[in-house]
Amino acid sequence: MIYTILYGFSIGAILYFISIGLSLTFGTMRVINFAHTLTYCIAVYMLITFSPLLKGSFIFSAALAILVVIPISYLIERFIIRRLYGESLDYTLIATFAITLMGVDSIKWIWGVVPHPFSDPIGTYVQIWDFTFPVYRIIIFLIALAIFFALELFFRKTIVGKIVVAALEDKDGVRCLGIRVDKYFSIMFILGSALAGLGGVLYAPISAIHPYMGLSVLLLAFAVVIVGGMGNLRGTFISALALGMVMAITARYWSQGAETMVFIVMAIVLFFRPIDI
Amino acid sequence: MDKESGAGLNQGWGSEFSSETKTGPFGKGVWVDLLVMGAAFLLLVPIISLHRVTDFMIFCLFALSFDLMYGYMGRLSFGHLLYLGTGAYCCGLFIKYGSKNPLLAMVVGIAAACLLGMLMGLIVVRATGACFALMNLAFNHIGFFLVLSPLRGITNGEDGFGIHTESLWVLNPASKTSMFVSVLLCLLVAFYLLKRLTSSPYGILIRSIKEDETRVRFLGYNTYFYKWLTFVIASTVAGLAGTLTALNYRFVNPNVMDVHGNVGVIFACLIGGAGNLYGAIIGGVAYMMISNYIAIYTHRWEMFLGLSLLIIVFRFRKGIWGSVQSFLEYLRRPKEVPQAIGEGGTRG
Repeated sequence: MIYTILYGFSIGAILYFISIGLSLTFGTMRVINFAHTLTYCIAVYMLITFSPLLKGSFIFSAALAILVVIPISYLIERFIIRRLYGESLDYTLIATFAITLMGVDSIKWIWGVVPHPFSDPIGTYVQIWDFTFPVYRIIIFLIALAIFFALELFFRKTIVGKIVVAALEDKDGVRCLGIRVDKYFSIMFILGSALAGLGGVLYAPISAIHPYMGLSVLLLAFAVVIVGGMGNLRGTFISALALGMVMAITARYWSQGAETMVFIVMAIVLFFRPIDI
Repeated sequence: MDKESGAGLNQGWGSEFSSETKTGPFGKGVWVDLLVMGAAFLLLVPIISLHRVTDFMIFCLFALSFDLMYGYMGRLSFGHLLYLGTGAYCCGLFIKYGSKNPLLAMVVGIAAACLLGMLMGLIVVRATGACFALMNLAFNHIGFFLVLSPLRGITNGEDGFGIHTESLWVLNPASKTSMFVSVLLCLLVAFYLLKRLTSSPYGILIRSIKEDETRVRFLGYNTYFYKWLTFVIASTVAGLAGTLTALNYRFVNPNVMDVHGNVGVIFACLIGGAGNLYGAIIGGVAYMMISNYIAIYTHRWEMFLGLSLLIIVFRFRKGIWGSVQSFLEYLRRPKEVPQAIGEGGTRG
């Protein structure tokens, strides 16, 4: 059971990294970004490309992969998302889904369809009382905690963070103060994509790498954002950990049902608290 | 109001809101349209193979059902394949475990999809926008998972199962010609019914819901009920398409309700011109052409699909049918000067 809780925390941490960007994009720009996990997927493929070049150094190749994601996400924001401000949700859904299709196809083109294996970069276990824990999963959870507090600080103390929080409340009000909101939105978009990339590189060693990995995670991330509340940063953190726990506990008793259980939770939440978007 | 003037501009991308009349694009009533459509599909047979045209028509039927919900009522669903899959699976399972009568199996499949639509409609219709799309997606995912894993015992998991039926009058799944005729009949009947439905006051009402639901509620209509009704009708027609899929392939596997397949029907509705039954038919044929033939020339057909979706969203929102209509309007304009006044009258 202790293992299950640890697995739940590590899955929840990954979900948190991925869904924070989605939540921000929706809360500020009112754009449902289906292309969000494309950056996640690209980061993973960058990781497996750089890893042999850097003689298997996980940290450097991961950092490099996340750096590569940043310009890509800027291009997506600049040429697609920015044109979708104020459009109806149907068009934003369809346009960003189109980007995902193209991105997945390019990944298939460049790297092929065959799943790649990638092993645990640390591979050691720590012994606490009678239990042995994989260090890697503990580190993932610690990074998630660190990111959560860093983001809290960022949104409270820095001027960029404050502007974004204000824009989450009232975009037009911020614009009336003479602040170019779009610029901050694109910073947020890039930050969110980079965090998704981080989630990707951290998740890669404990999952299978294939071109469609982004799509399956995307649905989970949407569930997290909906359960936590669109644009609610703390809610996203809590719901990510809670849903990660739901997945881990379900997987313990019924391994195929893990993802489905998340959607059942999401449907129940939506049933009692429909979101008007 | 002037009936002829309303027939032209009804694609309703938020720009024009006019009532659709019973006359079609040829101005001679819906029977002419049905004849033209049947003839067009018959003409396609020598060009493409018979089996493929049957496939095209089933997809068109599905696109029609999707268009009723997306184009007319403005509710984008990312999980409409669930109802097609339900129709296909219930029809197949009924043949496998019950009677061999194909017509009875079709009725069972359609009834199952309708029932599921009634049940799910109660939940999903409360949501709008992205929430509606994602809830449908989640339910589709659950359905896909159900047939894949927990119901493996009766659905045979990802391998699927074959269907062997006896023939019944024109409905003989073993013969390609007979399937072609029965699918064509189903398509024409469904088109006729949907055409009548969308040109009725009910049709105007659901398009009003698309424009502004709050105002429709102010007028005293129970919009919840009408949205639910539309959802049920859409899932029933999707169920019909599903039963035909099962009978046509004589095989059912979980791919019929694969979540990723939903993008195809969205694409079909958009490229044809959403909010119009003719657009759905044209879009269905166009999408099937693209997905069948682009794949021969290039492996990168997903790239092509994504690019064309982007182009549609940014540059070509009216779709093929919408462009044809604006072109026809442009041709007619010099003769019918007071048209703008007629349009204003319908709105008031």
